[in-house]
Amino acid sequence: MSQIIGLLNCHNSPELGGLTSSRPLASTSFLGRFAFCDFALSNFCNAGIDAIGVLIKDHQRSMLKHMGNLSSWTNNTKIGREVIFYNERGILNPAYNTDVANVKENDWVLYDSQASTIVVASPHIVANIDLRPIIEEHMARGEDLTIVYKPIKDADKEFIGSYAFKVDKDGYVVETAKNAGRKKEANVSLEVWIMKRDVLFEILKAHERVDMSFGFRETMEYLLKAERIKVRAVPWTGYARRFDSFKHYIDYSFEMLNPDIAASLFVKERPIYTLTHDTPPALYGSKANVSDSFVSNGCIVEGTVRHSIICRDVKVGKDAVVEDSIVFSNVSIGDKATVKNCVIDKYSIITARHAIEGDGKTPIYLKQGAIL
Amino acid sequence: MGTRLAAMILAGGKGTRLQSLTKKVAKPAVSYGGKYRIIDFPLSNCANSGITSVGVLTQYESSELNTYIGNGEKWGLNGVRSLTSVLTPKETEEGSNWYLGTADAIYQNIDWLDRVDPEYVLILSGDHIYSCSYEPMLKKHIQTGSDCTISVYRVPIEEASRFGILVANEKDEIVQFVEKPKKPISNLASMGIYIFTYKVLRAALLADHKKEDSSHDFGKDIIPTMLSEKRKLSVYLYEGYWKDVGTVASLHQANMDLLMSAGTTNLYTVQGDNRIYSEDAHSTPQYIGANASVSDSLINQGAQILGKVRHSVISGDTLVEEGASVVNSVVMNGAVIRKGASVYDAIVGPDTLVDYNEKVNGERDGIVLVVNGKAARL
Repeated sequence: MSQIIGLLNCHNSPELGGLTSSRPLASTSFLGRFAFCDFALSNFCNAGIDAIGVLIKDHQRSMLKHMGNLSSWTNNTKIGREVIFYNERGILNPAYNTDVANVKENDWVLYDSQASTIVVASPHIVANIDLRPIIEEHMARGEDLTIVYKPIKDADKEFIGSYAFKVDKDGYVVETAKNAGRKKEANVSLEVWIMKRDVLFEILKAHERVDMSFGFRETMEYLLKAERIKVRAVPWTGYARRFDSFKHYIDYSFEMLNPDIAASLFVKERPIYTLTHDTPPALYGSKANVSDSFVSNGCIVEGTVRHSIICRDVKVGKDAVVEDSIVFSNVSIGDKATVKNCVIDKYSIITARHAIEGDGKTPIYLKQGAIL
Repeated sequence: MGTRLAAMILAGGKGTRLQSLTKKVAKPAVSYGGKYRIIDFPLSNCANSGITSVGVLTQYESSELNTYIGNGEKWGLNGVRSLTSVLTPKETEEGSNWYLGTADAIYQNIDWLDRVDPEYVLILSGDHIYSCSYEPMLKKHIQTGSDCTISVYRVPIEEASRFGILVANEKDEIVQFVEKPKKPISNLASMGIYIFTYKVLRAALLADHKKEDSSHDFGKDIIPTMLSEKRKLSVYLYEGYWKDVGTVASLHQANMDLLMSAGTTNLYTVQGDNRIYSEDAHSTPQYIGANASVSDSLINQGAQILGKVRHSVISGDTLVEEGASVVNSVVMNGAVIRKGASVYDAIVGPDTLVDYNEKVNGERDGIVLVVNGKAARL
């Protein structure tokens, strides 16, 4: 699909507590193996989109490290490329550092390309969406803007603050409002926007005229209300979660330990691609006792691990116990140490015999490089 | 501009004794250690030794192996000044020939070597498992001013008659070479790793090609001839882990050597500066189920373990169902072990299905190999 540009939009990512204090959500680790941006980027790749732009808002070091050689998510490494969009001026002006401003600042990418269609997706929505038929339909019908939504029945708990839509019988959006969590049923946005090239330029123009603090969402809402564009909404009924808080990060990570739920996200036809680290397979000692967990490559487990997610290159010492916890990469847990109900960030060390237990409600978060 | 050291990896062997594991793939492409193929080891060693020109000579069932090697990207051997070439037998003006022996394979690629223009050539085997840098060996080769340096390791003298045995003097110069001697007088076994000064090698290969009675083999022809010509040949003593997996049992053993209980070597002790690189499959995270039990094992990403795994090596994209048990076994990529099945002392080949309640080697009679490819059709 060479007439398409995919934009990964890291501007609207919610914070995940301490996890996102020194890294963007997009490059935050998920299930020990992935970063959040892998899902949207893999969706682009699996739809055959080769030209990809990554809209970085902040923390560019962490993001660039994960992006690697900027061709990990393209089908053809010559035709395909990943371009970093970064709004240098926006850093000094956070209120105006929006996704639209970033695209405008880097609009040479658009002028360089003949692309007729632009697809935008966000890293904080974790879903394995088959974009190809949605994009094809959008193009065949000549739509202005197609958005992907999920009809949910627990809108009082999920997708709070996200845009929700009323859709008419022809599938067009007639009303938008933020989900305040008052109703159970809602059509919530999965923040996938497929737009005509002209519509993108219209958004860029409107942004300048109407309100420079607007992002895509606000500008599109304005254009819809002004009846300048028609917005078609397409439902996606597969797995989709909006990662918008530390608590949701925990809940949604652990729900993946249910093999049926995991199978709804990881489907054979559309793999999720990520960066390789060339770590050897996980090594289990003779007294290892592991259940109900994800364990990544490079780990050496000699103790007990229950209902936990263990990232790459983690050491769990002899007679150590790890329960209900998420352990990030390169963490070392000493012999006879106990870790329960914790999220331990990268490069931390739990010394031998040390015990750390969170209460049942919110896990304790240990920041990167902590030594206990 | 020439290169200092070029590597030629001999990867054309069939590996007949690995039975059906090598029916469709060459031995260097056989799966090992849950994640790797055997050829990852010599290729990673080349990368870790700063070698940038690598020729891989393939012949038997080469399509899977050739595809796997590609442009060397998996081992980082695709940089701006790197070259990784798959060298298969080809048709020439003189006709078309298969590689007749190890030396003939190099002879047929003299053009490639001339283009690379190396000072020294490293000859490697594509089916040996070991992790090292070749730099100290090259250093010794240069310091001693040898024409050829052969890497050796010490074997128990009672096993020495299975190997090519070298006798060296106190200056590490080779004075005698005997292939599989009945009464060995040395325990220095050749590892089939040679560094030649290219000029010398080139002349030796041209001369050997003209000999009608030659079998065109390094061990049988090139080395003995060079010795008789009073060339300077030295030994380089290698002391780390090294394994030539010839049989199903030795492949099984080499896998078990990676486990923590083996206490000798494992992929973690060899990492450090000498990381082993491999293909990264786009698999899901490794999942250990709620009722699973896993101990003393090596398990790759993409494996789903819902049953019992003891003292085993499990590759990616495998499934061990609840109530199934795998003991002292190697389970290769894509294999499925159904509920109630049990596997003992076995190698379960790629995409192999062990069906419900099936018992593999229940009587534990040696190491068995199961290959059926049925899981690919599930």
